[in-house]
Amino acid sequence: MRLLLVEDELDIRGFLRRSLEEAGYHVTAASNCGAAERAAVEESFDILIVDLGLPDGDGISLILHLRELGVRAPVLILSARRSVDDRVRGLEQGGDDYLTKPFALAELLARLRNLLRRNAPSVAESARLRVMDLELDLLRREATRAGKLLQLTQQEFVLLEYLCRNAGRVVTRSMILENVWGMRFHPDTNVVDVHIYRLRGKVDGEGRHPLIRTTRGVGYVLKDR
Amino acid sequence: MSSKIAESAFRSAAWRISLWATIAFALGTLAVFVFLHSFVARDIQRRSDAWLSGEVEVLGDVAERTPKDALYSRVVGEVAELAGREVPNRQAGSTDLNDSVFFLQILPDGSPGIWVGQGDRDVYSQAIRAVHAASGNPIDVWVSGIPIPYRVAADKTRDGSIIYLGLSERDELHVLRELRFRFTVLWAVLVLLGYAIVFSTTRRMLGRVRNIAQAASRIGRDDLSTRVPAAGRNDEIGQLASTLNRMLDRVEQTVGQLHTMTDSLAHDLRSPITAIRGRLESSLTAEDDFDRSEAIISAIDLLDRLTEFLNTSLDVAEARAGALRLNLAEINFEELLRTMIDLYEPSMTEKGIHIVLRTEGPLRLSVDAALMHRMVANLLDNELRHLRPASSVQVDLQLRDGQAMLTVVDDGPGFEESLLPHLFERRIRGRESNGHGLGLAFVDAVASAHGGAATGCNRPNGGAQIRIALPVLACLSHPNKTRGA
Repeated sequence: MRLLLVEDELDIRGFLRRSLEEAGYHVTAASNCGAAERAAVEESFDILIVDLGLPDGDGISLILHLRELGVRAPVLILSARRSVDDRVRGLEQGGDDYLTKPFALAELLARLRNLLRRNAPSVAESARLRVMDLELDLLRREATRAGKLLQLTQQEFVLLEYLCRNAGRVVTRSMILENVWGMRFHPDTNVVDVHIYRLRGKVDGEGRHPLIRTTRGVGYVLKDR
Repeated sequence: MSSKIAESAFRSAAWRISLWATIAFALGTLAVFVFLHSFVARDIQRRSDAWLSGEVEVLGDVAERTPKDALYSRVVGEVAELAGREVPNRQAGSTDLNDSVFFLQILPDGSPGIWVGQGDRDVYSQAIRAVHAASGNPIDVWVSGIPIPYRVAADKTRDGSIIYLGLSERDELHVLRELRFRFTVLWAVLVLLGYAIVFSTTRRMLGRVRNIAQAASRIGRDDLSTRVPAAGRNDEIGQLASTLNRMLDRVEQTVGQLHTMTDSLAHDLRSPITAIRGRLESSLTAEDDFDRSEAIISAIDLLDRLTEFLNTSLDVAEARAGALRLNLAEINFEELLRTMIDLYEPSMTEKGIHIVLRTEGPLRLSVDAALMHRMVANLLDNELRHLRPASSVQVDLQLRDGQAMLTVVDDGPGFEESLLPHLFERRIRGRESNGHGLGLAFVDAVASAHGGAATGCNRPNGGAQIRIALPVLACLSHPNKTRGA
């Protein structure tokens, strides 16, 4: 996957570049709008990460300009502002996504994957999800572990489905909150954790091999190995 | 120095205003005078013309009827002289009338006949012949050697001789000259006086403006507590001063808030940063991997909380300043509450807290859903943090007087009495609270950003109550509305 990273802060650019390369991306970095435009013209990218505050212009204008130049790849916008302005929302509706600094690396990677998946030719949605001996029937909204039906509430099923779709990848609490409850905020208390504990009790209980693991300091992961 | 003052006076607005006002006044009065002057001059002329025409006719009659004997010229001359005594517009005290009136008869053969008047008869007759005066309307005749023209009327008698009666325009011109002179003197006095009055008035007025400007520039430079001098009078300049002072009050208040905010932010940041630093240092010296990752995890946790604190702080400050942007959309508030309670219910149950929602059915509100999520989350986080096991929380949603009333009550220990008046202020937290003290300040900020209000109290039979009133209709026309849905 070829990724164009447009970020002027040297520290953040360096750390993102290393982390993204570790995650398997082929990263080209640019520190300003001019360099980003040249890079986008010379090479084609699968995905872009654009910081909003650039020294020679504003990230939104850069994205709009790149679109005019024929760049179709999805963009993940990084913003240092805590609230996102209407123009970013506009882009978000156009299929791009945003992330405010500071962010968890796991969340950045997850959002990149989501953007790439959204852009990929759609594969017929399977009616079933399977992770090891856990199986989800998406039509009947039923989950079984080793063939045994799990007694899940509607909410727990949605949460488990989200974990299954991201099996093997860490998801943060705010990602869970956004994707399962449709809210984008950081609760001050451990509300998400309690939901996970409950779900874990039902999925991993009775001495089964634990699937739902905690990645401390980051979030949760459904093990697929 | 004095030339400098004079120069600045010339450049002052007072100078320009009074100069233009005076010029306009002077030109206006001058135009009025020119009109009056021409009116008076025409009237005098008309009167003397009427007299001349009448008299010359009488004299013509007399000349005709008087037999042409030895007494003829004497009789006619006497009558002419008598007529001369009745000259109109005569100047008082002018005893010598003969120099202002003349009578001349030109015989049919063209030679001058009877002459009554001063000066040389031939000179006058030449002057009259030169302008071909005939009977009809009087005309001006310039006699050589005399600077003032004569008004001359003519009458032709039956025997073919023409008689002329001339009246010097001296008196008439004198009256007009006198009029002009007096007007000029009065006009000059009026213009100068007017100028002086306008100049001094505008100078005084603009002096007050200058004082305000000086005070304002001092305020910009030094401090914000100074105010511009507000004169007692409630005129435009007085209003300018009081408006400026009100603006300064607001600026000072805002800057004060900003100072307080940056000060308290700096203070609030110190302890978490110290804690994070400590955790990271201990991760360097940790004996084993477990301790090391524990320290780092705890540092990450502290960083997340710090970020959240910063964001909320800025949101509260923005809302207080009326600058919080709302993304309004119409939502079912009951459903929002239900989702939030579903989210919190397991945590509450875990702690042994019972939570119930009571509503009167769906209630549509135009609100910023993300802010509402956070507002309700703050309220529920508060309950989670402060309630002891076996307590209960009741969330009520009612529509009352066009307002959506969200009430959260519990049967816990209630608020500390000393906190009650300051519940919604920043950094107010109970002694046993481990929160950052922004929860209720944020709740209040969100409510007021939506045109609503938050109130809090202790219930008489124990427990705390927070009530949020949100206008149902006003939300739709909120000025900060940025995007409808």
